[in-house]
Amino acid sequence: MTTPVSGPKPRPAVTPPPVWTPPIPDEFTTATGLRIVTHDLPSQQVISIRTVLPVALADEPRAHEGVTVMLARLLDEGAGDLDAEAFALALERQGAALGAGAQDGGVSVDVDVPVRHLPAALRLLADALARPLFPEDEVRRVLRNRIAEYEHETTLAPHRAARALIAGLWAADDRASRPTAGTPETIGALDREAIAARHEALQPRGATVVVAGRLAGLDLPALIDDTLGRWDPPGHPEPVLAAPVPRADGTRIILIDRPGAVQSEFAIGADAPGRADPGWAAYPVLAYLLGGSPGARIDALLREDKGYTYGIRAALRPRARGGSFVISGSVRAEVTAEALDLLMGVLERARDGFAEAELAGGVDFLTRATPGRWATADAVADETAALALEGLGWDFPAHTAAARRALTPADLDGALARVGAAGWTIVVVGDAARTRASLDALGIGPLEVLPG
Amino acid sequence: MPLDYPIHTATLPNGLRVVISPDHQVPTVTVNLWVGVGSRHEPPGRTGFAHLFEHLMFQGSRSVASGEHFAALLAQGGRLNATTWFDRTNYFETVPTGALDLALWLEADRHGYLLDAVTQANLDNQRDVVKEEKRQRYDNPPYGQVLPDVYAVLFPPGHPYHHATIGSMADLDAASLDDVHAFFRRWYGPNNTVLTLCGDVTFEDGYAAVERAFGDLPASATPDTRTPVPLPPLSEPHRFERRGPVPHDRLTLAFRLPVDQTPGFHAASLALDVLGGLASSRLVRRLVRGSQEALSVHATAWGLIDGASIGMLTLDVAPGVDPAALEEQVLAELVAFGERGPTEAELEACQAQNERAWLAALAAQDERADLLSQATLLHGNPGLVNTHLDDLMATTATQIKAAAAAYLQPQQRAVVAHLREATTGTDSEALA
Repeated sequence: MTTPVSGPKPRPAVTPPPVWTPPIPDEFTTATGLRIVTHDLPSQQVISIRTVLPVALADEPRAHEGVTVMLARLLDEGAGDLDAEAFALALERQGAALGAGAQDGGVSVDVDVPVRHLPAALRLLADALARPLFPEDEVRRVLRNRIAEYEHETTLAPHRAARALIAGLWAADDRASRPTAGTPETIGALDREAIAARHEALQPRGATVVVAGRLAGLDLPALIDDTLGRWDPPGHPEPVLAAPVPRADGTRIILIDRPGAVQSEFAIGADAPGRADPGWAAYPVLAYLLGGSPGARIDALLREDKGYTYGIRAALRPRARGGSFVISGSVRAEVTAEALDLLMGVLERARDGFAEAELAGGVDFLTRATPGRWATADAVADETAALALEGLGWDFPAHTAAARRALTPADLDGALARVGAAGWTIVVVGDAARTRASLDALGIGPLEVLPG
Repeated sequence: MPLDYPIHTATLPNGLRVVISPDHQVPTVTVNLWVGVGSRHEPPGRTGFAHLFEHLMFQGSRSVASGEHFAALLAQGGRLNATTWFDRTNYFETVPTGALDLALWLEADRHGYLLDAVTQANLDNQRDVVKEEKRQRYDNPPYGQVLPDVYAVLFPPGHPYHHATIGSMADLDAASLDDVHAFFRRWYGPNNTVLTLCGDVTFEDGYAAVERAFGDLPASATPDTRTPVPLPPLSEPHRFERRGPVPHDRLTLAFRLPVDQTPGFHAASLALDVLGGLASSRLVRRLVRGSQEALSVHATAWGLIDGASIGMLTLDVAPGVDPAALEEQVLAELVAFGERGPTEAELEACQAQNERAWLAALAAQDERADLLSQATLLHGNPGLVNTHLDDLMATTATQIKAAAAAYLQPQQRAVVAHLREATTGTDSEALA
């Protein structure tokens, strides 16, 4: 044993932190209708720009699903007067990094750049939005790479599970039930013309550009007027965003067969409210108490007691409208059914309620962790862009924090009652020969086996 | 011009090196400890042990119950974890300022008195958890074995970097409570540790708090005082092929580079960027955009201290393309680059990208704390955090060309090829 050189010292007391409120940004709107939202963060030398352009994926033609993500990926593959190679080099010589993608509520174009190169980066961003070239070669390459990416995702258990989960969770005719970035079939049907046509849905009206970092000494309105402010395409109808419709056909197991897999991957989901819901504040607390740490209910049992998993997480997945509650992680193959049984038991017992002290622990964590989530330019810009995408006000974080502090155990019960009440979609990616019979024997619900 | 992050240093009488960098932007402090032990110190038959041990540090100590370290800090809004790597093990948490004393007290209890609480049951449980981590990260996903294969091919048996941090199942099975005791006594102690505070704290208050918590721990560790033996580049190509259910053929070309924080490493790292690290890089232009024979190209340079660092170029081969033919094109670029070096535009793009990446890393309190601990433990100079960028920027095109010629030539490569099961035999002959 260690020879103590002194007896244990008493555990130090903690001074509770004062209530901390995220900063409220400044904003202005260009003549073209583009909303510019700014956070001046004097210590942050890298500026983070987040562009949010509302688009409904549900507007994609069924045969062309994924066109919006492909459009986003092609925005910087040549724009303005520069071909794809020249554009990439121009960005990189300014120290800028540009990333673009699309989610259910919009296209996002993100740029991070050292502050002294901000003007040049804004010029390039404006060209990417307003004057993309969509060169044939790059269109072909980006489409082919998406097909390769789809094949890659098929082999990755967490991705394969997520794909099966949305298919099982949302109604078959809902866009949310199919991959955001499309399938080989729909991507294979795209061409330059389809991409260019989809570009017409992007417009400054209704869009938001977040700029966070050390802004002192910059004339941002003038910089914007000279760059993004010149983007003024013909008007396009604003998209109508809607929460996805759940399939709601009770608890069932979808087993994706992976012969020889040494682990089984779980993705267990149900329809859940989005952040605009008046009862939202309870949900992050629920997710934290169930699956937010090694000491949370799921991992306390499956990891710390049983040693079946490296970790299983529970999380809310808010969308532009609506959302889902998802539990995900992997367990070793030979305990698949037992682990699932234990996990569903944790969810059932949660319906018996949470103690005051447990609730307080969750509230304290989420409340006290907030300042750390707003400490860097990219984090502040990300949080702000998410608010814009979901149509939430800048005071949303403060309101949510206040509602969270007022939560009672009954609020958690009420929130949980709205999740999984109509059943859970349970996806298991694993070796069917090894796990099918024992999963079926659990009697949780009908079991369907699909090829990997 | 160097950056100007404030850096204060002090050493406790027991050898604990303390680094404090005040930053009052948000009311939180990061506590970050680097212990001078990593997988490079594991003896044969005990691979994976440093990492397994790191897990045990969360299972209780003299005055802290199993799991309580996590629970007590999470209740304060802390964000915490630990990681193990070739050269070191780190432990870190970011907490509201008012919880700094608690965080330090918890760290001191486990870094001083872990063995009072370690049990066979905890060891067995965390061994199972670590095995699941290995299955999740290495054994189950496609390409999961690429890195362990690279280490095994690039470094000779017995070299500190020959095996991956995760270790082998057999060695994890062999780990005993005696191993835990011996490992703790040898490596853990203030005289083999750096503790950094970064955030909402002054030097005076921070130092006093560290002294209160850690001041009476004995200087119990026996730090590694070996002088690393420099490992020259490979003199002839090495190769390892694995076939399996991967979606595409993947080639990884690995190289031994000079040790971290040397002009040679900086130059080699920038050379890899020019070759494959940026969207405008040569291999991207030629093989991804141009001929479209590669789906993607990535470049990596990991700075290490024990005689060599690791450089890698990774290419995903487009369907229908012969991996051997693709590799030949990469080799031609390596030769050409070693002869001519980067253009002015390439150098400018690399430097600008490195500048942004470094500034962005330092922008986050927790990452800055980690970099301060790294600079102190591995390089004896926390000021590197402020001067590193200048060192990179001072690297010339001539130095980059020289590094490419010295360390990134075809005969110096170790190739790991993970190929689709369906690929026919002629390919393997071409690759052999």
